[in-house]
Order: sequence, then structure tokens, then C-alpha cells
Amino acid sequence: MFLRPTAVLGVCAIAVTLLAPVQSVGADPDTIVFGSPVSLTGNLAKEGHLTQEGYEFWKNYINAHGGLKVGGKTYKVDIKYYDDESKNDSSAQLAERLIDQDHVNFLLGPYGSGTSFTVAQMAERKKVPMVEGNGAAEKIFNQGFKYTFGVLSPARRYLEGVLEMAKAQKPAAQTVAITAASDAFSQEVAQGAANWAQAHGMKVVYNNKYPDTATDVSSVISALKATNPDLVLNAGHVQDALLVQKGLKDQNVQAKGYGYTVGPDTPDFANSLGKDANDVFGAAQWSDAVKYHAAAGFYRSAKDYAEAFQAVYHHRADYHNAESSAACLAFQYAIEKAGSLDPEKVRDALVNLDVVTFYGILKFDSRGLNVYKPMVVNQIQNGTLVTVWPAGLAEAKVIWPTPPWGKR
Amino acid sequence: MELWAQDLVNGILAGGILALVAVGFSLVWGIMNIINLAHGAFVMLGAYVTYELFTALHLDPFLSLPISFIALFVLGYAIQRWLINWVVRAPILTTFLLTFGLSLLIVNIAQIIWTGDRRGVETWYAGANFSLGAVTVPWVKLLTLIAALAITGILQLWLTRSKTGRAIRATSMDIGAAQLAGVRVSQIYAIVFGLGAGLAGVAGTLIALSSSISPTMGDPFLISAFAVCVLGGLGSVQGALIGGLTYGIIQQTVAARLEVTIGTQQISGSGLEDAIAFIVLLLVLIVRPTGILGRATA
Repeated sequence: MFLRPTAVLGVCAIAVTLLAPVQSVGADPDTIVFGSPVSLTGNLAKEGHLTQEGYEFWKNYINAHGGLKVGGKTYKVDIKYYDDESKNDSSAQLAERLIDQDHVNFLLGPYGSGTSFTVAQMAERKKVPMVEGNGAAEKIFNQGFKYTFGVLSPARRYLEGVLEMAKAQKPAAQTVAITAASDAFSQEVAQGAANWAQAHGMKVVYNNKYPDTATDVSSVISALKATNPDLVLNAGHVQDALLVQKGLKDQNVQAKGYGYTVGPDTPDFANSLGKDANDVFGAAQWSDAVKYHAAAGFYRSAKDYAEAFQAVYHHRADYHNAESSAACLAFQYAIEKAGSLDPEKVRDALVNLDVVTFYGILKFDSRGLNVYKPMVVNQIQNGTLVTVWPAGLAEAKVIWPTPPWGKR
Repeated sequence: MELWAQDLVNGILAGGILALVAVGFSLVWGIMNIINLAHGAFVMLGAYVTYELFTALHLDPFLSLPISFIALFVLGYAIQRWLINWVVRAPILTTFLLTFGLSLLIVNIAQIIWTGDRRGVETWYAGANFSLGAVTVPWVKLLTLIAALAITGILQLWLTRSKTGRAIRATSMDIGAAQLAGVRVSQIYAIVFGLGAGLAGVAGTLIALSSSISPTMGDPFLISAFAVCVLGGLGSVQGALIGGLTYGIIQQTVAARLEVTIGTQQISGSGLEDAIAFIVLLLVLIVRPTGILGRATA
């Protein structure tokens, strides 16, 4: 039988693909292997890289400090990643591959609510515990899943802090306009913000969504401008937050304040917009200004974490980094408490987890969601992100009302 | 009423840029019968050319227009000459796959070079605007529209008046006859593909002014270019212009106002932009399959 060279190559390629998992990292008996499908390319690549940094930072700390003690034995930790290309379906397929072929012990979440949702289904089917720090949509936690835990405050509470802050200012914000991307996370945020505003005597004068792939949001901005709101809120991701902020200036929308979910906390926001980013509010899961006395085993305060992080990655630790490290910490404390790598025992330990970390309290409600940790509000003041709310954590006074465009 | 006027203006401003993205895509498709799936990636590269020149040399984005055109023209010319030319007579699926692969390659290389960070060019005049009655017009978008119109105008003149332009149109009408008349088809194809890429590059430059820059920024523009081409008719500059403006206006006016209730979920306004635009697209395909300005082909 004669084979053409291309056919031989093809067969070899298939053989290599099939054989590859045999030499997977799971083979080492002295290592606990975590697996994570994470967005390293695609439209969530920026956030995906922040997630990976948070995981790696924890891993390197643990390995540098001797490893994890589990029932008298010490293990090194390793994390295996696959790029899910920011696609929900790929994320779940890669999670399956991590479990079935790479035999990872546990799953760390991908970036985003869409991907976390599909991976949570896989974790459930395979009965492998997952802790995620980057999917805040409650949709993930309302399915009765038993193996998925989220260290985040839920989506609906994202903008509560900004609303509370705006209501406490003088002059107080009385009317609110909300724009949101069409994805599940952003929609839950918008709904939660609208409910909170109405329940606290504020008037929601505008509430509309745009496609999450939008390249132009002018019509949303025009309609919003016509309602003349005191406070403009946006629930979305970095890319559309930039589009909205540019659109607000393009159409000369003058509100007392502007609040975003994802956006102001990433350096991209101020880098891309320069002065036009000033005085904008960003809701954050965490900032290095939060004050917690953390349990032993990792950095004991947000400040320590932030300083060490800065030294390694040469940028300020943002909340995506912190919540990702926190997801690892949940596993760390649960595994140590369980004294075992058995998925069921670790899951049970996660259910009962109650520990204070640099990131805040890690404790899950019956659905697996961390509803016990408050959000903070940051403001970009003169190009620098500072925490301004809650008042007890404020690093600087709130700048309110926001000065007109061109005077920021 | 005022809001309608504002949305109409928004639609025209958005449509101009969509037309410019689509015109290069349309030429390549209409003349060479190649659906270039790397067109969005070319748009992205144009935006990065502008970004690099702006950050390194403080060159104003409008002044970088010719540079991104030339850079992308050269790239497009080379890709056609030494890559696509090998399969240009193959079934359309082959070129489809090739350009899809190219797109992935370019986007991933961009990801390595520039990472996934979103970047922007923040000019001193960013966000400056003026009012016409109740309508606010942002200068950047107006200048972008003017630039888009000027570029398509120059292109149209070049195609109808210059020798190369005529050779291009001759090739699109009848390859055999053009060859008999002494036109070197492979050369013409490379010029057309280069032109398509160059036009995508200038579109990227202009998009960089009002949007953020990232390796995946071109994807949605590829989809809109597809719709614009079918709406306006393939292979003609005027078709892309009419298609772009129609698409932009529909998105910003009609689509933004609709409310639909499906089950318990109310889907309102802008969430439906794309759906409405594509419904119009379907209607055009049914009523006038060659597009608004398209010509019937054999």
C-alpha cells in the first residue's frame, strides 16, 4: 500500500492528537491539578488574561511556600489552561477535555457569565467541583447546580453601590438612565439597578439595551439624552463601556454622574480615553483599599496582595485579578479542611466554607453564590482609580457633580 | 420628532463608515468572486497602523489615512499575488476557507503583538460637537463621513477614468475579452485585492477615531459589510454607498424604536438592531435579488 505524503502527515497528526493526553499533567501523584478554560483570544481576551494572572499569582505563591497540605501530605499545585476563544460552547468542550483526558482534580472558572454557565453544566454532569470568580449572573446559580461556587457578589447588586453613593451626594441624583448590553450578566445588572432605584425613591427615566456586539450606540445615547437624567449607568464590558463613554461626549450628554460595571477598573479605560475618563464611577468587586484581616495561608490584607502583585505583573491589581485569586483561595481552604482530594469531600467543604481573605469573606449561600461580600465604588480622579464608596473605605472624596466635558 | 431627526443624523453618520468598510469588500466580491473573510482583519490592521503612528509620532489619524491605505494595499497585493492567486479559479468554498484561515492568522498575530488590551486614539478634538437646532453633530463622525464620501468619490473616478480602473471594470465584465485586449488578469486581481485591503485599512483608521481598538474589533464590521453589499448590490461603489447609508439609517431609526414581547421577555429597541437590519436584507433579496443598485448578471 502506498500512501501519499499528505495522508501520512494526516495520520501522524491524528495519532499525536490521540496520544497527547496520555502524557498529561494529571499523572504526577504529588501535584494537585486545576483546569481552566479561559479566554486568551477573542473579544474577552483582556479579561481572560487578567483571570489567568490571578490564578497564576496564587499558584506561584503556594508553590513558593511549600505547597498545599492535604491530610498530612504536601502537594504542589499546577493549573492547566485551554483557550476557549471567548466562546461559550468551546469553554464547555474544553472543560470536558480537562476532566476526561487531562484528569484535572478541580475546575477553576473561565471568564464571563456566558462561559461560566456552560462550564457549570459540565462540572455538574461530571461531578467535578468548580469555583469561579468571573461569572456574576445569578442565572448560573439558579439552576440547582451542586458543584459550582462563585466568589463574586451577584450581578444584580453590581450598581447598588453607585446608586447609593449618588443618592447620598448633594445635590442628590433623582433620575437614572440605564443602558445595558444584551448579555445575561449585563441584563441582570440593569434589572437589579432599576429595582434598587425604584425601591429607594429614584426615578428610572430610561432603561434600554443594545446588542453586545454593537459598533455604534448613537441611538441609545440620543434617546437617553432626551430624558435628561441625573445619573447615567451602563452595564456592559470594557469594549462597549468605551463606546458609551465616547458617545456621551459626542452628543454632549451632561449628567451629574456616570457609572459603569466593567470598564473604569481596567487600565484600558483611562488609557484609551485620557481626560474623558476622569470622574467616571466604576463598580468593583474589590479594590486594594478594602480592609479585611485575612486568615493565614495567603496575603493577609488587600494592600499586601496589591503590592506583591504589582511587583510581579507591573500593573495595578484590578478586581478581576483579585476575584480570580480568591476563587483559588476558596479551593485552598476547602481542600485543607477536607483533608482529601476527593471531589465530594471538597465540595462539602466548599458548602461550609466561611473564611475571611484579602478579597473579603468567602462564604456561599445554598445556591453556591457569595452574597455576603459588599461591592465597592471606584472613581477615576485625575487619571488614577481611587475607591470612594462605601464611605468607610474611601481613599478620596467623591467628585460630584461631574464637571462638564472639557473641564475634567 | 427631534429624536427622529437626531437618529436620522446618527444613521447617516454611521452609514458612511459602514459604506467605506463595505466598498472594498464589495469590489473584491463583485470583480473576483471572492468573499474575503479577512476583510474585518484588514480593518483592524488599519486601526493599529493609525494607533501606532498616533502614539509613537503623534500623527493625527486623518493624516495617517494614506499610510494605512498604502500599508494595507501592499499587504493585500502580496496576499493575492502569492497566495490567493493559486486558488482563484477553485470553487468558492476554497477561497472561503483560505480567507477564513487568513483572518484567524492575522487576528491571532495581532493578539500576540498588541495583546487583547483595548486601545484608543484620543485626539484633542475627540467628542467635540456642534448643534443644529435640537440635533447634536459630533465633529469626528462628520469628518469621518466626509472622508468616507471623498474616498469613495475618488475611487469611483479612478475606476471610470484611469486606464487601470477601466481594465478592472473590463475584467469584471468579461475576463476572456479583457485578456484578448491585453489585460493581465492576475495583475488586475492583485490590484483589486490590494485596493480592497487598502480601503479596509482607511476604514479602520476612521473607526479608530470613534471606537476602541482591539484584535477582534473587525468581526462585526465583516458582518455588516456582507449585509451592506447585498443591500446595495455587488461590485459597485454607488451600491456600497447606498447600502451603507440604508443599513445605518435602518439601524439607528426604525430598529431603535421597536418593542417586541416574546413570552414574558420584552425585547426592546436597540437589542433588535441587527435583527431588523437583516429582515430588511431578506426583503431586498426577495424583491430585488441584485440589491438596490445591483445589475443582473448572467
